[in-house]
Amino acid sequence: MSILEIENLSFTYGNMREKFRNHVLSNLNIRMEEGESVGLIGENGAGKSTFLKILTGLLDMQDGKVQVSGLEMKKDNLKKIRAEIGYVFQDSDSQLFMSTVYEDVAFAPRNYGRSERETQKASMSALKLVHMEDKKDRQIYRLSGGEKKLAAIATVLAVGTKLMLLDEPSVALDPKNRRNLIHVLNELPCAKIIASHDLDFVFDTCDRVILLADGKVAADGDTKKILTDRELLEGHGLELPLSFSRNR
Amino acid sequence: MSRISDAITDLHKMDMEAGKTGWLQGIHPLPKLLATLFFIMLTVSFGKYELSRILKMGIYLIVLFVIGDISVKLLLKRMKAVLLLVCLIGIANPFFDREPVFWLGTAVVTKGMISAATLMIKGIFAVSASYLLMVTTSMEDLCYAFRKLHIPKLFVTILMLVYRYIILFLKEIERMTDAYMLRAPGQKGIHYKAWGTMVGQLLLRSMDRAQTVYDSMMMRGYNGEFYLRCKKKACGSDYLYAIIWSAVLTCIRVM
Repeated sequence: MSILEIENLSFTYGNMREKFRNHVLSNLNIRMEEGESVGLIGENGAGKSTFLKILTGLLDMQDGKVQVSGLEMKKDNLKKIRAEIGYVFQDSDSQLFMSTVYEDVAFAPRNYGRSERETQKASMSALKLVHMEDKKDRQIYRLSGGEKKLAAIATVLAVGTKLMLLDEPSVALDPKNRRNLIHVLNELPCAKIIASHDLDFVFDTCDRVILLADGKVAADGDTKKILTDRELLEGHGLELPLSFSRNR
Repeated sequence: MSRISDAITDLHKMDMEAGKTGWLQGIHPLPKLLATLFFIMLTVSFGKYELSRILKMGIYLIVLFVIGDISVKLLLKRMKAVLLLVCLIGIANPFFDREPVFWLGTAVVTKGMISAATLMIKGIFAVSASYLLMVTTSMEDLCYAFRKLHIPKLFVTILMLVYRYIILFLKEIERMTDAYMLRAPGQKGIHYKAWGTMVGQLLLRSMDRAQTVYDSMMMRGYNGEFYLRCKKKACGSDYLYAIIWSAVLTCIRVM
């Protein structure tokens, strides 16, 4: 079953006058299956973050049609859609706002009206998925960068997210934490869209890659096929992942 | 470390102290809040010349400092600005109320001096009691207790968010001042010509950070209310704490 269906999605920043408009996305058509892991790549300004924000409803849709888990993206459905979609922000510090890890993870289940027992069960299983159950009572500021990222992932897993969106998840992580994050993401059963410039990270976590360029899908297909295509990548302001360029 | 880093560290430390597993920290937040409010209410109810009687109320603070193993030195360090302000409240009284009460050798003690000291003690006691509550109760628990007392949810939500945003705001200030100082070696502070730009930038950056936090909350089903829970259910001994303090403080007040 499709978790995400996008038809002719377009988005423009700016006002009504054509010369001040900035077309960020135009006529995107994307379909994603349950459990699929998709890497979203593209140079700066390609529209990756805008695309993620539209999927979460943080930016209002303008043209096209988006369906998440069979629910059409519109204001009435927003709360239900947000229970299906989890968004992991680039800056974990801004995402985590409660005092302890557990309080932050329990924030969403409580908002969705779960009882305290259900909240505890959901929060603990989310923390277990990211191997953070022993740090549940830790103050947020005492977590390392890698732990904060994992805690941020747990906060969105606690409501049973079916599609997780991650914006530059590997930024500011040391090699060990980066490796750990790859391991955790690969273990998660939900579908994922990982927007990143770290192509090695995308290679390690995604089985499909979508290359965005000038707001359009420039390529969509198997990760290895796209990430080893030097001509394609360089033609769109990217470079071969380090692991491949070193092997050549 | 800069003063801003100190402030951030202090806020974090207070959060950490509130999360400790001591006897005082283990008491349910509602009786603790009630006892604190009762203490403050009784303290401010003393007349302006009742200096010797008001000092007896200090027993509450001394007991809590001892059983909670809380450092008085830290209180003075963290609250120095507030305490200084509190001490300044009655500073003008000796000039307006010069009626002599008694003589200390050749020095006269006037009613104005006593009322100034009383005001000062009232302020210090109220600030200390609030501090004790803050270092033994997390912000979430405190807000939970406020909601239990039917304080409007808007007020509680604002309190919660302000507390969180203060840290983000301070971090943003720290980042900006660090960046400035690194490019202005030898300068003691931020040059007044840069104040406008700095404040403008700070506002924009803070709004940006605040928006991200808000987006994150919205993404997790936030609908205008923090559903606060307390880790512990209030039991008889918790309420006994409030009752005993109410009785002791009332006795001190009427004696």
